Amino acid sequence: MTWTPDDTWIAATGALCALACSLPGCFLVLRKMSMMGDAISHAVLPGLAIAFLVTGDRASLPMFLGAAATGVLTAVFTQWITRFGNIDQGAAMGIVFTTLFALGLILIVQAADHVDLDPGCVLYGAIEFITFDTISLGPLEIPRAALVNGGALLLNLIVIAALYKELRLGSFDPGLADTLGFSSGLLHYLLMTLVAVTTVAAFESVGSIIVIAMMIVPPAAALLLTRRLLPMLLLSSAIAGGSAVLGHWAALVLPPMLGFERTNTSGMIAFTAGLLFTLAWIFSPTEGLLKRHTAASGPPGDPA
Amino acid sequence: MSQGPLSLPQGLLLVLVAWLGACRPAPVPSTPDDRIHIVATTAMIGDVARAIAGDRAEVRTLIGEGVDPHLYKPSATDVRLLKSADLILRNGLMLEGKMGEILEKIGRSGKPVHAVADGLGSYLLNEGPGHVDPHVWMDVTGWTRAAQSIADQLAALDPAHAADHGKRAASYLAELGKLDAYARASLASIPAPQRVLVTAHDAFGYMARAYGLEVRAIQGISTESEAGLKDIEDLVRFLVERKIPAVFVETSVSEKNIQALIEGARAAGHEVRVGGSLFSDAMGAAGTYEGTYVGMIDHNVTTITRALGGTAPQTGLNGQLK
Repeated sequence: MTWTPDDTWIAATGALCALACSLPGCFLVLRKMSMMGDAISHAVLPGLAIAFLVTGDRASLPMFLGAAATGVLTAVFTQWITRFGNIDQGAAMGIVFTTLFALGLILIVQAADHVDLDPGCVLYGAIEFITFDTISLGPLEIPRAALVNGGALLLNLIVIAALYKELRLGSFDPGLADTLGFSSGLLHYLLMTLVAVTTVAAFESVGSIIVIAMMIVPPAAALLLTRRLLPMLLLSSAIAGGSAVLGHWAALVLPPMLGFERTNTSGMIAFTAGLLFTLAWIFSPTEGLLKRHTAASGPPGDPA
Repeated sequence: MSQGPLSLPQGLLLVLVAWLGACRPAPVPSTPDDRIHIVATTAMIGDVARAIAGDRAEVRTLIGEGVDPHLYKPSATDVRLLKSADLILRNGLMLEGKMGEILEKIGRSGKPVHAVADGLGSYLLNEGPGHVDPHVWMDVTGWTRAAQSIADQLAALDPAHAADHGKRAASYLAELGKLDAYARASLASIPAPQRVLVTAHDAFGYMARAYGLEVRAIQGISTESEAGLKDIEDLVRFLVERKIPAVFVETSVSEKNIQALIEGARAAGHEVRVGGSLFSDAMGAAGTYEGTYVGMIDHNVTTITRALGGTAPQTGLNGQLK
């Protein structure tokens, strides 16, 4: 299959979305909250149901607003429960998203059982289709999804750049951050809101698979390669962007080679990220498979 | 891309990708001919288009066999199909979810995009505010109207061959008429108290209205929604009271809820069996009789009729069922 201008847009939008997700994803992975994206993907259900009950319509805009509101709520509730319930973030996330998902199911069964309200049907976009939905900017026809994810990336870059020191300290030593006078709690709310907005915007424009994968896999792979925050952010961005471009290319090239008729770009992007993670895991200078192997069999004073 | 903090490696990747892309041999264009290229979302629509357009069109479908339309994920191939299509046929009524909005947008850009079920007006079953039951193909009379609208689209798009399209459409519509008569007669042969269709999800509303069946479904329309314990208890009581002999599973929906019904009825001393597997949101495999619209409905009607105590030939309307 030949590479067309559409494919460039798809790969570029995928890369923008992957970068937008992997930046806050680094902080999530450092704070052991990697599954936040997945949690939000379940927790949006009551938002969709309420938006439908209020507007009586399943158009994209009310669905997006409902989802964004519940996404932010998920982040806020998780933080409350962690603080006041004194339990770890993962458990708090589990409590919040299962409860919200259940609330969504009850709302749907009570009020809208004859309506098809799955997120897959009314919220998630598809990266393949972005070039059919464009906005004209002067002579250029730009896919709306590229603008949305580019905007999310810009927002993430600005917030992270502005609060870099605070975020770094808050991620590694929240206690010290508090004593030094900036509230790690407040920072956390800000970060979580950023995650929620990025997640829902990307769900709506390119679908859920890329988002969930890009929030976890590139940061986790980067963490295997470095223990410092700035290199981690840079490496994670490179892995995320690379996964998107290589993933879409693989989605075009692999099926004919392997004899399948078709494959899905989002799936291939997530899969490519997984491959890159595997490479990082094997070749990591500190805890890679090779390193451990040579350290175990080689002489104790290994020069590496 | 300029906002990216790592534009150099990314740029290198893009170059690599472009280079590798350029190395691929150009694909052989699929027979450069003057045929109309039609893309249909579901196989049911594709089958009708194929029957009416005959060899004047190449028809491709997006949502594959046995795939729940809610779970459809597009591929890069699908985008190319949509771009090169002369006519796009979709069901409408939100069956295609978000893809429906995308297809509408393509329609606004000038390419003919036709929603076969949208123009049916008062025929449609309104399921409360904001929602219309999209499963129009379950009633042959409803689908006949959809087929007629497809024929009109083809005639408008390909006026030079309008007479041929008209001829094929007439013979196909006659076939649908025969199918409708068969469905009516078969289902009417079920003893009246047992004329009840119990299935996993709510896809049979039009069929029920057209052929005088009562429908009970465990879950609502959405395949995401879950069945409640009370729904299952109520249905079990209903099965036992009415002595319904069989319930049905669907090819594209999980059958675990149906198993719960059977267990429940057995505990109450009433033996219910699985009457067979029905096609609801998807047809059978391409190339088989059940992989055509007529075969799909024939299969459903014959299976339901025979399981509920009516009379219908085992091999169905055209003697092609196994």
